[in-house]
Order: sequence, then structure tokens, then C-alpha cells
Amino acid sequence: MRPGLPAPATRCPLTVVGGFLGAGKTTLLNRLLAGSQGRYAVLVNDFGAINVDAGLIQDHDGQTLRLTNGCVCCSLADGFLDTLMRVLAEPEPFDHIVIEASGVGDPGAIAEIALVEPGLVLRGVVVLADAERVPGLAADPRLGDTLARQIRAADLLVLNKRDLVDEAGRAAARDTLAALAPGVPVIETVAAALPASVFDLGGAGPDRARRGSARLRAEAVTHEEAFQRLLYRRAGAFDRAALERALTGMPASLLRLKGRLGLADRPGMHLLQMVGRRWSLSPLPEPAPDAAELVGIAATDPEAGPALAGLLDAALRPPHTPHGDRTRCA
Amino acid sequence: MPSEITLFEARRVITMNPSRPEATHIAVHDGRVLMVGTAEDCAGLDAVPDRRFADKVILPGFVEGHAHVMEGTLWRQTYVGAGDRRSPDGRRVPGLRDIGAVVDRLSEADRSIADPDQLLYGWGFDPLHLGGARLTRHDLDRVSTTRPVMVHHASLHITNVNSLLLEMAGFDETTAIDGVPKLPDGTPSGELQGIAARLRLFRGLGYNPMSGTLDAADVGRFGAAAQLQGITTIADLHNDLTDATVAVYGAACVEGLPVRIVPALASVSCPPEDGVARIGRLVAANTERLRFGIVKIVVDGSIQGFTARLLPPGYHNGAPNGLWYVAPEDLDRIVGIYHAAGIQLHIHTNGNEATEAALDAVEKAQIAHPRPDHRHTLQHCQMATEAQLRRVKALGLCLNLFSNHLYYWGDSHHDLTMGPERAARIDAAGSAARLGIPLAIHSDAPVTPLGPLFTAWCAVNRTTSSGRVLGPEERLSVAQALHAVTLGAAYTLRMDHCVGSIEAGKFADFAVLDADPFETPPEALKDIPVHATVLGGRVFAVPPA
Repeated sequence: MRPGLPAPATRCPLTVVGGFLGAGKTTLLNRLLAGSQGRYAVLVNDFGAINVDAGLIQDHDGQTLRLTNGCVCCSLADGFLDTLMRVLAEPEPFDHIVIEASGVGDPGAIAEIALVEPGLVLRGVVVLADAERVPGLAADPRLGDTLARQIRAADLLVLNKRDLVDEAGRAAARDTLAALAPGVPVIETVAAALPASVFDLGGAGPDRARRGSARLRAEAVTHEEAFQRLLYRRAGAFDRAALERALTGMPASLLRLKGRLGLADRPGMHLLQMVGRRWSLSPLPEPAPDAAELVGIAATDPEAGPALAGLLDAALRPPHTPHGDRTRCA
Repeated sequence: MPSEITLFEARRVITMNPSRPEATHIAVHDGRVLMVGTAEDCAGLDAVPDRRFADKVILPGFVEGHAHVMEGTLWRQTYVGAGDRRSPDGRRVPGLRDIGAVVDRLSEADRSIADPDQLLYGWGFDPLHLGGARLTRHDLDRVSTTRPVMVHHASLHITNVNSLLLEMAGFDETTAIDGVPKLPDGTPSGELQGIAARLRLFRGLGYNPMSGTLDAADVGRFGAAAQLQGITTIADLHNDLTDATVAVYGAACVEGLPVRIVPALASVSCPPEDGVARIGRLVAANTERLRFGIVKIVVDGSIQGFTARLLPPGYHNGAPNGLWYVAPEDLDRIVGIYHAAGIQLHIHTNGNEATEAALDAVEKAQIAHPRPDHRHTLQHCQMATEAQLRRVKALGLCLNLFSNHLYYWGDSHHDLTMGPERAARIDAAGSAARLGIPLAIHSDAPVTPLGPLFTAWCAVNRTTSSGRVLGPEERLSVAQALHAVTLGAAYTLRMDHCVGSIEAGKFADFAVLDADPFETPPEALKDIPVHATVLGGRVFAVPPA
């Protein structure tokens, strides 16, 4: 009998970045590669458009770019599956794998990989839309179905190039997205300036979560002003069903939520990961101190913090002593 | 001292040269035609007579303008398709018409593979020709429960595996993706589709059996399989052309290989600016047997896979529209760059919406950068409307139609994908000929079997595998079809000055037939045996089937 694949000790998060041609995917990925604090593998379609500071480049062989910060960027031109198989076979595991869907590709089909590949866990599907073009593309008889397929696959929508439209244009773009993917959080950006923490909110695995809090405080000051950080700290443990309801109803301005929490019906800590509307809970190999600490990233919506806290509090099981603070950072 | 002149004599020479359509003698010198004519015309030559084809009919060597070198790679594996084929070593490999026969052929192959762990890989399976019968893991478990077994469909998009390989890939009743369908008992059927399922399959195997570096033997099998069908020039119409592949081609395309090969650079493998530079370097290394210079762009998927892009009213059975493999605006940009650089494009468009996008792109490129005689060619172009064909003509495009589809998927197009009206004008060669569009027809091997006489038979008869005639108005005459598989195809490859007809100065490339296609009933065109080929004056025998 042949051995199957060994079950990896930790599953590597997978994020799929989609969006129609020109929506800003490459700009986003360039930012991610240059600013990453983890060891990322980023698989891209247009390798030639990857543009990182020369000082960051350790090695470049035409198909793979190795950066001094540990990140690797691979061209998908050699074939999608062959490239991904090479990345998955790298001896040193990555903290995060990010795959760029092509400009006409379906990011949902790529995300399915994480449903069957035991080494991967889907962190989320992030789909960018060009604020100026998205209403026209949605109505285009040639392209409307391709765009709709992409938008509907999103866990988090990024309405990019916000600076190129006036208020009416912005509303039209938001209406288009809402009609195609109702309830999916939409974050507006200029030059795809999404906070890096949407991908890596204080470390990717349990080993990093311990120092996560301190890192996040430091990171927060560098945030774009369009985003705020939310901190939720409470004693007590969550009722699982109530927590699931709370997470399903989170405010649309919430982009990202991550942290450690206890569940009333299970021993041990659990790691919550949420990107847009997609979330997962996985057990951590450490005892539960009967407390929760969650960090969120949201658009500058003054209601986001109170709404988040209210929803989570309702799922928290007494007895709990509210000693937590709620910090908003500019 | 000059090399000698050989004077081939035939019962009839069909030249495809309109000013000298027929002859009986061909004088060959240094690999090229010195003179075509009668015995009397050639009497003054100091030539060595060669009468071995004296009772045969000689045509220009056939030109297959759209095939893939994968035809050579796949013959390493076990053919389990529905149509008869000839393997590169000349064996006739009968088509299989039921699941039991597929299992038997695979079991035979299983016994011949010494390594008990080596993958057994079948290819060419097509359930449409087995009355829709499905292949399940239980069938493949009858082949082996201890060796991984995998069967690729003719479409290359669906794979069936045995239970062992399912287990290696980690698929079981808990697997929850569409690409891993289940049997009524909740276990996977063994059919796998889509990138997620395929990734796990390859991860389970430990490698991707569909990729890997081309080697000289693959090119050799590709050439040998083509030669058996009378082909002397063949395009490998989608290739990444890595340095390693180019080196393999360079080493393989030498004296002894019975064909000239025309590899097309796959546009998807590099940005067009890099592609222009690569073509420039490759062309400098062209030889008489290996000719780089063309670029292939794939715009949409396939009609039978419901991935072709269709204009309204869309798919006959209501399936959603297919997939763009390149966005129309990107197509404009890519076509524009190659066109301005003087490079010839071969653009795959199956559905008529993809054809429309390609026409728009070429029109914009022509307006921005007028270029005479560009000969960009729409490949497949199976659903083009009459109005689109008029644009094809007006824009100076060529067509290479996928006539083999008429036989292999014609019934499916009639019943499912297009309905009776549109299926009747699929691969509308008759319209193309009436409009005077430069025309070739092709097999897309390994998707369908290589065989220009079969392809010509499809275009002449338009008979489906069930015997239905699809659109008799779109039939070609035998003369038109033979032109399409010789000079017509040569024209689409920009090689009509050196191959595709038999005339003084051109390469001495011939297809030698046992019977005269003009004296054969059109419905028997495909059955004419190819006796031999000649490439550059050198004779290559075809073993009897």
C-alpha cells in the first residue's frame, strides 16, 4: 500500500485574489510582497508586472522571484497546476499562499483547491473591482457573466480606484456589487491600498498568535487612515451556535477578524479567522484561560466597533466580567 | 559533381498547380522538384527513372495545419478511444465501442507493464460514442486494484481513475466539490474534473503525468504518426517553446524525420512583447524541416464542453455561456502587438462570440497598422455566421476549420449544443469557399485522429457518426477538400511557396495513394490507402494497415 500524503502539522492559509483585468490585482500583490511580515508564496499571472524594490530581491530566475523577506513570487505561465505543486512541495512551509486568478478567471474555482488539499485552509476570496468600470462591465453582453462569476465568488470585495469616480459613480459601483453579491462586505480603496493585515493579521499560525497582540499595536500606526482597528477583549467563553449567528451578522464594514477564544462546549483555545464573510474556527494546542481576544479591521464606520462588540457580547456566556477595552485606532 | 536527378513516374500526378493540374512524371533534384510533366516533357533529362509508383497516384504531401505534438507523447500510453487510429509504429488500433472493450484493452496494457506501481494511463476515451455509458472506478478496478489507473477523455478535461488512485488522491465520501461526482452509494464515482480535483490527483501520484519535458522520441512518434497518413508538413499549434523544447525540436527535425514541423508559440506563455523577441530569435534558426514564426492565441473553450463563447441565442440546451480564456480587450492588445511586429497569428475561436472578438481585434489592428497579406488565421471557427465569414473575407483572414467535428461531435451539436439550424452550418467550408476565403481543414490531433483524407471526407460528406448529413449546402467538392489539405493549409502556414503543390522549385514532398481520389466515390475518400510519402525526394514507405 502506498502512503497517502502526510497530514501537515499546520495547514497553510490560502487567499485567492480575483478581479477583472485592470481592477488592481497586481498593484495589490506588489504591495503585499514588499510589505509582508511573513513568508508568503504569491502566484501571479503577469510576472513581468511584479515590481518590488531591487534591494528586496534575493534571486530572480525568470519564473520565480525570491525576496529577502522570505517571500516567493511565482509565475503561473508555466502552468497553473505545475506551479502550485512546486510551491506545495517547497521544503520550508509558507505562512500563507496567495493565488492570483486571471483577469477572466473564476477565483471560486481556485478556492475549491483548499476544500480538497489537506495542506491548505481557505482564508478567503478577495475580489477587486474597478469603481469606474464595474457598472459598465456588469452590463456588457460579452463580459457581464464573467464579471458576475468573479464578484459572486468573493468573501470580501475591494472597490478600487475610488478616487476616479464622483459620488454618483461610487454609488453606481456599490449598487452593482450589491446586486451581484448581496451582503458581501465592500471596502473602498485607492491604488489597491488594502491593509496588509487583511492577509496577515498578526501572524498566520498559532505560534505567532502569542505575540500577535504586540505586533498589531505596532502595525496599527502604519495603517491607511481609511481603516480602523477594533480590539475586543472579554472574559468568558462563547456559545458556539450563538457565535456562528453573530459572525454571520457582522457589519458590512468589517473586513477582517482574528483572535483566540474559548467555546463553552469544548476545552482549549480556538483560533478564529475571518476574511469578509468567510470564517473558520480551529482548535489551538493550549488551554483556555476563559477569555477572548479578537482583533478586527474595518472601514471608518463609527458604528462598526459598537456593532461588533454588541453582537459578540450577545454570544458570550456568563459569567463574564467585562474588563475589556475597545480601542479604535486611526 | 552534381547529384543525380530522379524521375518519378506515376499513374497520375495531381499537382494542385492550376496551370499544370495533371502530369505523370516528376523530376526531383536535390530535394526539390525540377520539372513536372509528361514522359515526353522529361525525356531530355539525364535522370534515373524510379517506377515504383508507376501504378499509384501522387498528390502533394498533405499539410496538417492544426495538430499537437501531444499526439506523439500520448502514444507512450494506451489508446482507448472510439475511433480507429494508427499508432506511430504503423499498427491499426481499433476504436472501442463499449466499456468492456476499454477494460480489456487496459488489462492487456496492465500485463505488459513490469513495474507494479507504475501508472497505467489510457487516453482518448469518449463516452459520447459509447451511447453515453459512464466509466466508473468499479470498471477500472477490474483492470487493477494494486496499480494506479487513469483514463483521460478525448476532451482532455475529464479523467476517470480507479479506487486505488482515488485513495491516493484522498477522495472519499466526505469530499464535497463538484469536480468529484458521487455514485448512488455516496462514494466517488472515479470521475474527476476541474483544477481542484486534478491538483489532488497529481499530488496523490506525486507528479503531473500530463506535463514533463518533450523528448526526441515524442517528436519522432508525432512525425511517424503523421507520415502514415500522407502528411509531410504538420503544425504543432500550441507550444510554450521553452529553450529545452526548442533544443529537442532542433535535434529531432533532421534527415530521417518524415515531416516538416511548424511549431506555434503559445501566446499565453509570455507577454506579447517578449513573444515578439522570442519569435525573432527562433526564426533565425529555421531550417527546411523546422519552421518557427507563428503565434497561437486561444480565445475560448470548446463547444462540446460548453466552454465556447456563443452569441445569442447561446447553447441549444440552455447551458450558460462559456469561458473567455483571454479578455476581448486583452485580445485587442495582444493581436495589436504581434500584428504590428509582422508576426502571423493563429487564433482559436470555437464559439461565434469568440470569433466576433477576434474579428474586432484584427480589424482594430489593421486600422492602426495596415498590413498587406498578414494571413492571420482563425482556427476551428466552427460556428461563424455568414456575416462573420464576410468579415473574415474583408479583413484578409484565413480559415482553418475543424471538419472532423462533423463526424465526431456532429450529433451532439445537433441535439445538445447548437440545435439543428446552427449545427447544419458548423464548420461552414462551403460558405468559406463561395466567399473565396483561403481555407484549410484539420484534425486537431490528438483530439481527433490524424488523417487528411478522413478530414477531407468529413468536409465532402458532412456525415455524423450516426449517419446524419449536417448541412449538405456546406459540403466541399473533392477537389476543394483536397486543396484544403494541401495548398490551402500551406497558405495558412505561409508555406505555399515551398509546399502544398507539386511544381518546379518547390520541395519534393508527396503523398502517394493507392487510388485516385477523383475516381473514388466521395463516400469512400477516407478509405484510400496511403502507400508512401516522399519528403525532399526521399521515399518513406507506409506499412500496410
